[in-house]
Amino acid sequence: MLVRYIATRLVIGVAQLVGLVIAVFFLIRLLPADPVSRLVGLNPSAEAYAQAERQLGLDRPILTQLLHYLGLAPEEGPGLLQGSLGISWVTGSPIVEEIGRHLPVTIELITLSFLIAFVLAVPIGMLGALKPGGKADRGVFIYSLFAGSQPEFWWGLLFVYLFFFTLGVAPPPLGSLSPLTSPPPEITGMITVDALLAGRPDTFVEALHHLMLPVATLVFILSGPIIKMVRQNMVRALRSDFVLYAHCAGLPRWQVARYALRAAMAPSITLIGILYGFMLGGAVLVESVFSLSGIGQYSVRAVLSFDYPAIQGVVLIITGISLLIYLALDLIHAVIDPRVAY
Amino acid sequence: MSAADLMGPTDEATTLPRRKKRDWLFGIGLTIVVVVVILAAIGPWIAPYDPTAVTPRIVEPPPSLGEIPGLLWGSITGTLEHPPHWMGTDASGFDIFSRVISAPRIDLSIALAANGLSLLVGVLLGLLAGYYRNVATGLLMRVSDVLQSFPVFISAMILVALAGRSTVNIIIALALLYTPIYIRLTRAEVMSQKVRGYVEAARAMGNPELTVALRHVLPNSLAPALIQASVTIGFAILLTAGLSFVGAGVRPPTPEWGLMISTGANQIILGEWWPSVFPGIAISLTVFGFAVLGNALERRYDGG
Repeated sequence: MLVRYIATRLVIGVAQLVGLVIAVFFLIRLLPADPVSRLVGLNPSAEAYAQAERQLGLDRPILTQLLHYLGLAPEEGPGLLQGSLGISWVTGSPIVEEIGRHLPVTIELITLSFLIAFVLAVPIGMLGALKPGGKADRGVFIYSLFAGSQPEFWWGLLFVYLFFFTLGVAPPPLGSLSPLTSPPPEITGMITVDALLAGRPDTFVEALHHLMLPVATLVFILSGPIIKMVRQNMVRALRSDFVLYAHCAGLPRWQVARYALRAAMAPSITLIGILYGFMLGGAVLVESVFSLSGIGQYSVRAVLSFDYPAIQGVVLIITGISLLIYLALDLIHAVIDPRVAY
Repeated sequence: MSAADLMGPTDEATTLPRRKKRDWLFGIGLTIVVVVVILAAIGPWIAPYDPTAVTPRIVEPPPSLGEIPGLLWGSITGTLEHPPHWMGTDASGFDIFSRVISAPRIDLSIALAANGLSLLVGVLLGLLAGYYRNVATGLLMRVSDVLQSFPVFISAMILVALAGRSTVNIIIALALLYTPIYIRLTRAEVMSQKVRGYVEAARAMGNPELTVALRHVLPNSLAPALIQASVTIGFAILLTAGLSFVGAGVRPPTPEWGLMISTGANQIILGEWWPSVFPGIAISLTVFGFAVLGNALERRYDGG
């Protein structure tokens, strides 16, 4: 049954992605932007314009372009089906390669932020849940409401002012390593991991130092919704019958709390997964403040330079990863609670 | 832009019990929102300087706390040669205070217009999708699924940058991205309302289906969407500011908070904090105000 459930979900997911690819493809071509003139510069001659248009393949009928992009016209070169996202109009290199370089930076940044935010949020959320409506709960509630509604790029700048300019304890917001340090050989693309793999603890520490402020910014922003959610699930769990039963059975308080925590974690994990997928594209502004060359920065560059293949690639990859995360979460749920699969 | 809007409505059983105790928080939220609305109406008129005209004083820091009483007295008696720059000036010589209080007109208009548009379209489509369940509305839901799986910020950036960086395009882009939320909320509510007794009664009275849907089901299904709107307005302000920050929003020198933070961003490394800090405080408080208000509405509704 589970296998059939997975298969159904995968088919739906793939159909959704195909729909998305086609939607994005047409959407960006419907908008009144002229990527050709952006590339050839101001006042090009008619021949130069036509030549650029031909080079980009924009002189062909739009359906031919779509078929080529999807990889259904293999005589014209590889497309999606062949695992290619096309060639960047600006840099001329394959999009897959470029995204492969930028994506790990974002994953490193948000994974670290989620870990820290979660570790901090669980005790704080529990504190609020122990006595709903009490002083601590109100404080926790106001904090989570506040943190969840803040402009993260502004807080990033504030942190730069405080910790770099005033206190001097953080590096300038100019990337993930100091320009004088040679980056470790690229294996995973995540500098901290690569530094460890290359056996360079000093580079590892330096990379962490550069991640300090961007991670702090994201932890602050993420802690709002995560605390709110942990608190809510914890309150619900503490009110449930099995906790009452555990109390009646005379179990020690800490043990009851442990049971309740376990029950509260399952729905929390789902929401964290959704939030994680959201942050893949949502870390743009923090990356921009700290000049981290993640997928967000890449998408800004792609959008502002009208690099259509790059735009399509970014949207496809981010949405694809999000859908995979949702699928994984549903599978975990289906394993824990088999009713879901039926 | 934030992720908190993904979390959905607060579970009523887990929220704080007594209303009286949280009134001061609600008061703060309401005050902030009222001030922002007033500034949107009259901000540009009461600003001491034209928010889009440069002054000869470039990167002038704001007055220190000690100077403020003297400047206040001076501006009342009219003995100053020019009105004081309460928040300093930026690298182009714009008066930051004038721009901060003029910005709500842009920021709030975009947020309100985008939400109004998506609310209107979303509620009507949601009513259709919940009331008539057939192939067409099924397709509508699949389309809104695809739309909702777009990464919000990146999609907004794509739409605005490719359509042209204008206020109208920002409004349309945000409206497009927010509509699926309202469709979904309204559809769910319509589906739970349409099986109730009063709908049956309205039908039994001989009302045509369309009248039942519009006159009876619709007004009773509005609450979730309206509550969502008060939260989404805040996030629309964040999104608008974020777009300006990466250079895909309104064009300079429009007085807009995100744009102001962005133009001040390069100076903050040099210790010139005021061009970014003041507009940031404005956004921070405004969005918090809307969040508080939305939260209060949500609880009042859930509490019955």
